[in-house]
Order: sequence, then structure tokens, then C-alpha cells
Amino acid sequence: MNGPTLGHFLAFSALLFSVGVYGLLTRRNLIGVLMSVEIILNAAALNFVAFHHFRFGGDVAGAVFPLFIIAVAAAEAAVILAILIALFRHKQNLDVDGADSLKH
Amino acid sequence: MIRTALFYFLSAATLFSAYFVVTARNLFRCTIGLISLLLGIAGMYLLIDAQFLSAVQISVYIGGVTVLIVYVILLVADVTQKSFRQGARWRKISVGILAFLLFLLLLTAVGSFDFSSTGKLPPRSASAAEIGRALVSPQRGGYVLAFEIISLVLIAAIVGAITIARSGDAGREANERPS
Repeated sequence: MNGPTLGHFLAFSALLFSVGVYGLLTRRNLIGVLMSVEIILNAAALNFVAFHHFRFGGDVAGAVFPLFIIAVAAAEAAVILAILIALFRHKQNLDVDGADSLKH
Repeated sequence: MIRTALFYFLSAATLFSAYFVVTARNLFRCTIGLISLLLGIAGMYLLIDAQFLSAVQISVYIGGVTVLIVYVILLVADVTQKSFRQGARWRKISVGILAFLLFLLLLTAVGSFDFSSTGKLPPRSASAAEIGRALVSPQRGGYVLAFEIISLVLIAAIVGAITIARSGDAGREANERPS
């Protein structure tokens, strides 16, 4: 078979990870930061699946861990978005520099 | 051959949407970019025969997380440039260089390690039946404990999210009642 190799997937996910880090550090809006985190998590999950396919002959661990990553990412998104709604009530914007105080 | 072509097409589309997500000024456009990125990753999963993960990716991420993000964007009503300050130019350039160096570092780290020593099995992916059996199996190699814990985490996260998002309303009602 003449398809893409493990190296293709690793290089792609490294690139995707770097784009996510770029977004994490340049975004000024907290929803944008959350989206960058989702990009990074997806790049990591793709690595698990690529290794389980190309090196470990379909060992289930490589397919179960991305499932847990997806579940934790969904829980994380729900909590962060609730915090953002509460934050927006106090500050009227979602700027990263404005969200530096725990008390209002 | 066609798989390699599909891989390059998918990776180009995914990276373009990732660039869109981290640079677009309008948050709705970012969300559209995020949806197309997640679809691209789901396509990658299909390309290496992980159909179950691809379906989960689409139903949980695109059907759940992005819909949640769209709702929050609508609630906070902050899609335009109002209070949507962009970072300084020097910051973008320096972070861009930093991210590029990180990419080179990852590439050298991946390239210098000989992964052929880690396993020599022929490429195949776990089927949905195997994944399902492993998730609820209490035997060695099963993940039933992690599976139960993740359901507790989800419950705690949802209850916590409702509590945090509601607390403002409750406080306001309590303050308004005496007057």
C-alpha cells in the first residue's frame, strides 16, 4: 500500500500544534483562546490515532485515549464557557488582560 | 497513491482553517473555521480507518462544542470589533517566530527518533466493536474505571457550569426583591 506514512501525520500534527500555540499567545479574546486550545487538543489526539494505526497494529489504547481527550475537551469547554458568561456580566468584555482579578 | 493525495488535500484544508481560526477578527468566522478544521481532522481519522473516532469527532465536537461556542458568542454579543482589541504587531511577529521554532524543534525531535523500533505490526485500526468491548471491560486491558470516572467528570462539569452561569441571576433577583 502506498498511502501516507506515520511521518506525514506527525509532521502535520506538529504544524497544527504550532498554529494552536500561535493562536493561544496572540488572541486577545477569551473565546479565541478556547478555540486555540481545541486546535492543540486535536493535534495531540491525531498523534495517538496515527501511532495506533501505523505502529501498534490497532491496539485499542490508541483509540480509547482520543475518546477521553474528546470527552475532557467537551467538559472543559462547558466549564470555560460558563465562566466566560459570568465574567461578561462583571466586565462587559472578554479581553484576556481584563480578566486578571478574582474579585469584582 | 490516492490516499496520499487525499492526505495532502485534507492537511492543506485543515491548516488553512487553523490559520483562519487564529487570525480572523470576527468570532463567527473563527467558529466556521473551527468547524471546517474539525471536519478535516475527522477526514484524517477516516483516512487511517478510524471510523468510530471520526463519527465521535463529528457528533461531539461539531454537534456539541461548536454549537455551545456559537450560543456563547450570541449571548455575550461581542462579535464586532467593539472591545475586540488586536495584539500589537511586535507581539504577533515574535510569537510567530516562536511558534515556527517550536515547529522546527518538534520536527527534529520526531525525525531523530527511530519509531520503527517501537513496533513492526502491519498498519490497521481498532474496530468499533473492539473499542466498545475495551471501554466496558473490567479485565486487564479494559478501561471501565476510566470510563466511569469520565462520566463523573462530565456530570461535575455540567453541574458546575450551570451553577457558575446561573449565579449572577440568582444574586440579582435577591438584590431586587426588597425594593
